[in-house]
Amino acid sequence: MSTVPRPAPARTAAAGRGETPRPARAAGPGTGRRVLRRRTYEAVSGYLFVAPAVILFAVMGLYTVGYGFLLSFARWNGFAPHWDWVGLQNYKDLLWQNPAYAPRLHHAAMHTLYVMIAVPLLTVLVSFPLAVLLNSARRMQGLLRSVYFVPYVTSGVAVFFAWQYILQPDGAVNTVLGSLGMGSLSQPQGWLGNPATALPTMIVVTVWGAVPVAMLLYLTGLQSIDRSVLEASQLDGAGWWRTNVSVVWPLVRPITSIVVLLNLRDSLQGFQTFLVMTNGGPGDHTNVLGLEAYRLAFLMDLAPTLGLASALGWLLFAAALVIALINLRVMRSAT
Amino acid sequence: MTTTPLTPITSRPHRTPAGGGAGPARARRISARVLVGLLLALYGVISVYPFLWMVSAAFKNQFEVVRGGHLVPHHPTFATLSQTWNQLHFFRYFVNSLEVTLLTVVLTLVVYAAAGYAFAVLDFPGRGLLQKMFVALLFVPGVTVMLPIVLLEDKMGILGTHMGLVLPFVNGGAPLSVLLMTGAFATVPKELRESARVDGAGEFHIFTRIYLPLTRPALITVALITAIPTWNEYLLTRVSLNSESTYTLPLGLQTLASENVPHYNDLMAGALIVVIPVVVLFLSLQRYFVNGLVGAVKG
Repeated sequence: MSTVPRPAPARTAAAGRGETPRPARAAGPGTGRRVLRRRTYEAVSGYLFVAPAVILFAVMGLYTVGYGFLLSFARWNGFAPHWDWVGLQNYKDLLWQNPAYAPRLHHAAMHTLYVMIAVPLLTVLVSFPLAVLLNSARRMQGLLRSVYFVPYVTSGVAVFFAWQYILQPDGAVNTVLGSLGMGSLSQPQGWLGNPATALPTMIVVTVWGAVPVAMLLYLTGLQSIDRSVLEASQLDGAGWWRTNVSVVWPLVRPITSIVVLLNLRDSLQGFQTFLVMTNGGPGDHTNVLGLEAYRLAFLMDLAPTLGLASALGWLLFAAALVIALINLRVMRSAT
Repeated sequence: MTTTPLTPITSRPHRTPAGGGAGPARARRISARVLVGLLLALYGVISVYPFLWMVSAAFKNQFEVVRGGHLVPHHPTFATLSQTWNQLHFFRYFVNSLEVTLLTVVLTLVVYAAAGYAFAVLDFPGRGLLQKMFVALLFVPGVTVMLPIVLLEDKMGILGTHMGLVLPFVNGGAPLSVLLMTGAFATVPKELRESARVDGAGEFHIFTRIYLPLTRPALITVALITAIPTWNEYLLTRVSLNSESTYTLPLGLQTLASENVPHYNDLMAGALIVVIPVVVLFLSLQRYFVNGLVGAVKG
């Protein structure tokens, strides 16, 4: 905001941007000053309009991010008056050095990796065919779309408790399997109690929650495809299956990459479902990285793990950034 | 997206390739449609399945709920819901949730409508940089900033208060809200602003009298996609609030669930109390919701 006392460069700048170029020169310096005053007024208004957002961002965003970054290089239990600076020790402890943290983290990282592979894949495999079928339905399309959106609308703590309820040993899922004659598949310890089924079950619940948005995105994509393209493919003798696999699927590839990115990010960072439904159990079989960071930050009482929690948070941030960059590259090459 | 009938993209051959023999071809087409209908219905059941059991358990008494097995209660009762609402303090939690959610929504609308207006309409040095800064916030994982937020609020003395939840919630919704509002304001024709300026209207006047009324759908969308996650928020709430009188609904549920032997009828009644307002909100404003989600993801 140093433009006030210097009219000449500001005028050329205005002319350069193509705003009122000729009148400014024709009417002499008086109009130039008016243009300048107008631009100053606009800039001041601009700053006033963004001020609340920027102030909030500075306190809740920038300050906390910087604070967390510094804390990741220190050891602290939250109560002691001083931080002990430990340099990169927190990162080393987490990644390989400390036997109390590193093996747990590796374990959680493997679970997170499973989730990051399975959730995007299954979400695409369910939601694309679902969108194609829904798009071909002539009646009840609106109703079905609302019904398919129930998992999204009800998502949150409440519905995870409902899942917990039906996945119990004597819960509805086991009952249904029994009445369908598939009682051998039912889980007497409950689906979340058996270490072998707990993580796959959590993946299914996560996919169930992710399908609505993915399906909706595919549906809008399908509806924007030019009909003549599909008619041409049918005239060439392609059936329903061939049309969808060879024509429609490549056309919605940008949507697939959005769906995959969204779910990769959520699988990497999200842990609310896990915290509510299993809290990492049984025996850490469903522990994931986000949950581990949450535990180090808030559930360790007086142990000096706050620096470790911050370090883990920044490792997650770095991983999220890598995913975003890869995705950007993929999107660029696709378009 | 509107609710107009959508063009089906499956093959709908007007002429069967064989010409004659409409009988078997037609039969095949009908059976294909039945199959599609069955698959669609099946996924519909999967979508609502946990919700159905939530409703079912909420209308069972404590004896019937442990017998399990049957979806439709044999002795449906309102007693469970009314007990959860009254004795288990869900009324209190409901009011708290309402307070936090409304404050968050109102603040979000005020702060980011103004910011979006500045980004979309006004020209000022540093605009691009500021805008990028808000979008960059999208990539910072929530768990990374949660601890510093709690520590900061402890220092400021607002930890454990509802305001201590509202401020980070508002800031957390910044990327999406800025994106949606900037996009909406950019579609308003510049000529409207120019002519208002010629008439001597100030920037605030133009913003409130011209731009806000024209972007009402976007405002509703922002309100919705702020309200629903706030209503359900659990992670920061759980580590912030420490007095039961300030608890929101998700924490009330948590309290019920962490009893030694959870009473699933009470828990599901509580869950139903959490879910019902969201379902009503969604059904009545579905159009804005869908627009917002598609716009947010594509933007």
